[in-house]
Amino acid sequence: MPEDLAEIYRSTYRSLVRFLYRKVWDAERAEDLAQEAFARALVHKPENARGWLFVVAANMARDEARKAARERRHLTLLKSEPDAVHSEPEELIDAETRREHVRTALDLLTPRDREALLLWDAGMSYDEIATQTGLARGAIGTTLARARRRLVEAYDSGSERGGQHVARG
Amino acid sequence: MLHVDDGALHAYLDGELTPVERARLEAHVAECAACRTQLDEERALIERASGLLGLAQPPERAMPPLHQLRRPRLTWRLRVPIAWAASVVLALGLGYYIGGETLHEAAPPASARAQDSFAPTLGYSASRDRAVASGPISPPPVAAKTAERRAANQVAARNDAPTDRTAARVVLDSARAAAAVVAIQPREGLREATPAPVPSAAVVTSRGEAEAVFQQRGRLMATEWQIIRPGPARDLLGAEPVGIPGLAVRNIRRSPTGEVVLVEQAVDSATVIQLFQRRLEDEYVTRQMERSATPAQARRLGSAGTERLARFIGGLRVEISGPLSTDSLNRLLEQVKPIKP
Repeated sequence: MPEDLAEIYRSTYRSLVRFLYRKVWDAERAEDLAQEAFARALVHKPENARGWLFVVAANMARDEARKAARERRHLTLLKSEPDAVHSEPEELIDAETRREHVRTALDLLTPRDREALLLWDAGMSYDEIATQTGLARGAIGTTLARARRRLVEAYDSGSERGGQHVARG
Repeated sequence: MLHVDDGALHAYLDGELTPVERARLEAHVAECAACRTQLDEERALIERASGLLGLAQPPERAMPPLHQLRRPRLTWRLRVPIAWAASVVLALGLGYYIGGETLHEAAPPASARAQDSFAPTLGYSASRDRAVASGPISPPPVAAKTAERRAANQVAARNDAPTDRTAARVVLDSARAAAAVVAIQPREGLREATPAPVPSAAVVTSRGEAEAVFQQRGRLMATEWQIIRPGPARDLLGAEPVGIPGLAVRNIRRSPTGEVVLVEQAVDSATVIQLFQRRLEDEYVTRQMERSATPAQARRLGSAGTERLARFIGGLRVEISGPLSTDSLNRLLEQVKPIKP
């Protein structure tokens, strides 16, 4: 029903963009993909539109992965370039650094743990995550517990390494 | 009773237990100090993980209305080939009318006849005829007639084969088309001799040329955009050419008409960023021309110019282009600064 989809659009669009952003790491592209997913939903009118949207979005993001990885290399390369004139407010640099640490930490999770965590953070229920990932519903709590623990550990160890690196440099 | 596992604690804290499971867990935790401690730890872990994810948020922007999404948008994978296909069509079309000046200058007359028979496939061979016809001294109308006469002579000289008749028609058409172009696209010499506002057309043409050549970069760029040294590039621009600090400069090139300098830089072995740069006064003339352009011309200019991001640096207008996302190109463009000699 279009009315349902309109409601889902209002309640889910930003979650979907956030979910996609943590996969493609490009805000504009995440928005593009989210909008395309909704546009497809308007055409296909799926039964469970919310779940369907996340499946379609995840597939599109997967297709983007190779390209995104290539661009990530470029941006990393540029970030490592010393640039005396380039000056950003310190808090922006800090935010960017933290974001990169989170991204690295997420990359260290297993695909299944990461997917469950991102879906939960996008507002999906255990039932929806189970449907989406193929995991048993009873395993979602354990999966999320593991994913959260690994995320925090990976972030902390990454930050430490980054801090030591800065201190040495 | 056994202790509660961390999965159940997370499900509890996430509000995902059934009422029965919830009551059972709460009853256990009320009696078990170890599980209470663990519950606190898991709660802190969830908050921490959630906080970390919060650090990786996209900027919040306005949602487009749902009804604007009625038509499925093209995927990125589709968009790129279509954009390239359109570019090639555009480049061939533009190449048919313009370009080729350097080719003309470089090509020996003996090769011209052989090239003519390929006119349908090589867009810029028509321009060769135009270039031959519109020598730096002849005014446009004479150039047009000369071109047609030359084409007719070429046809008369080799009308012994059926294939030549086809080629002849193409040559004639090419000559006519080229003559028409000549009227709005004076060469360097003509421009100097013509005081009227006509030169602005030449600037636009060169922009189209830059576009066309860029789109066919493998072939045309190598032949028409000569590689130059930084010194001449500086002379053309009246300022140091600019580039992205820290990236290797592969080539510096000049457009056939000498108004645009192109700096090519390698991000990695497979990715080259192009920085088209020109003096601001040329840009001013371009805008003047765009304002007076016909709707058809304006559409062409618009479609040719939308894919590049531009920025003004000192006395230069710099456009960036390359196989990266708009975000990445924007970031690169922000870093552009004069290349140190």
